[in-house]
Amino acid sequence: MAGPAHPDAMAPRKPGRTRTAPPQTPASWWGSSRIRTYLLFDATGIIYFLVGFLAIGLISDLGNGPIAWHRALERLGNPIYIAFHVLSLAAVIFVAVRFFRLFPKAQPPRIGPVAPPPGPVIHVTLYVVWIGITVLMTAILAGVIF
Amino acid sequence: MTSELKTTTKTIVITRFDPDRDEKPRKQEYQVPCESNWKVLDAVNFIKDEIDATVSHRWSCRMAVCGSCGMMVNGEPKLTCKTSINDYDDRVDIEPLANFPIVRDLVVELDGFMHKFESVKPWIVRAKEEAEDKATRHPVKDTYNQSAAELAEFKQFSMCINCMLCYSACPVVANEPEFLGPAAIALGHRYNLDSRDEGTEERLDIFRGEGTVFSCSYANECSEVCPKNVDPAAAVNQAKFGAVIDWAKGLVLPRGGTQ
Amino acid sequence: MRALLLKLEPIIWLLFGQGILIGTMLLTGWILVVGILLPLGIVDPVALSYERAHGLATYWLFGILPIGQLVLAALLVLPLWKGAHHVRSMLIDFGGGERDGFVGSLLYAIALFGSVMAIMAVVRL
Repeated sequence: MAGPAHPDAMAPRKPGRTRTAPPQTPASWWGSSRIRTYLLFDATGIIYFLVGFLAIGLISDLGNGPIAWHRALERLGNPIYIAFHVLSLAAVIFVAVRFFRLFPKAQPPRIGPVAPPPGPVIHVTLYVVWIGITVLMTAILAGVIF
Repeated sequence: MTSELKTTTKTIVITRFDPDRDEKPRKQEYQVPCESNWKVLDAVNFIKDEIDATVSHRWSCRMAVCGSCGMMVNGEPKLTCKTSINDYDDRVDIEPLANFPIVRDLVVELDGFMHKFESVKPWIVRAKEEAEDKATRHPVKDTYNQSAAELAEFKQFSMCINCMLCYSACPVVANEPEFLGPAAIALGHRYNLDSRDEGTEERLDIFRGEGTVFSCSYANECSEVCPKNVDPAAAVNQAKFGAVIDWAKGLVLPRGGTQ
Repeated sequence: MRALLLKLEPIIWLLFGQGILIGTMLLTGWILVVGILLPLGIVDPVALSYERAHGLATYWLFGILPIGQLVLAALLVLPLWKGAHHVRSMLIDFGGGERDGFVGSLLYAIALFGSVMAIMAVVRL
């Protein structure tokens, strides 16, 4: 019949027994191109904020009548706004490409009884839907249809 | 025709830290004649065997299954037994795994990881009623059958060798001490996906606790450095989805029983 | 602060996820036309005259679905949540783990404020 050993035998190491040096990050971490791409991806959040609030202002002007709307459109003609929107377009495309690559593998193997489509199918579908919606919206906004 | 082993001398820079003597970690350089078929681990072992016996480092299997020899090599977390020394030029900078407290030289403190690891209940959990019932029941052959398809759902996430390279790569681990981290979440998720397991609700509670899976910013660095292609980033982000479903179910059907 | 954030994280993550998915898909065409092609004159300004713009925004599909306002609402609201979540993540990347409870809450509060403004702007069209 087994008897008790000492209750503290092989107990986890108590903190403070050995002095440790604090954790480090390698100096080259910030320079790694993969890390910089990731940090840029996060930084696009600023652009989404700005584009969002700009668009809210615009729709607000639309609700204020034709004079407010036309003044808003004129403001958009300012080269700084155009440059910002070119940057935003680049940002949105960058986000889409990275997100579409990462999205498929984040799907669980099963949702209830149903398995989601295989990764490559999802990947292609995302691009098709994105391009489709963009073409449709561009056509509508540019007056080509409707 | 035999291929010749060429020897080139490289400068191996090792981080040194003696808690009894050093105020903070320092670097020490060694000139090592590296043969062309050597791994980084061979170079470190050479230093310890032939040049400076005071260098301390962890290693074991030499074949990328034990997970002991993880170190930062020129700023990237690597298994040194799996990394060719010829991938590097004449200067190789070897540091202890990032984001871990340093015990001595290239040896890091693992208690923090072990704690996160245990907290996700990385074992098969069966419903309480059934366990009590089994204790009083006449013993029967206790096997839980699992099909190949069911195994395939979680097998990839079971391949983790606990080398912790993912913790060194993760920017969130570097800045949020509470975050459970890639390997722990991937392992918890592995059990959530296991058809024999019934502990998903309990694990999802932990996933939404202080170490929240939602801290993950999907940098994907963990999966980039994983030597066993476990793809912890996929596991963590699948786990987020599972946590949301669990949360939504909790809104509609109040949870009973296991509180 | 952090406890509140932990409780709300599932819904925030859902909004953020849609912000990336739907928001990005809707924003591309919007930025292209409204931000670039129209101001540069490549698209005729008549295309987004007040009458047409207002008509598009208040268009009802089959008379039962206010599709213009729904799409606008998605376009205005969802990117804010993507923005808030990623700015929060970026600030943590740069070593701000301790202040996350406060900073995160502030960013989501801004996104919420913007969302309310957006809904109000869309509804009163």
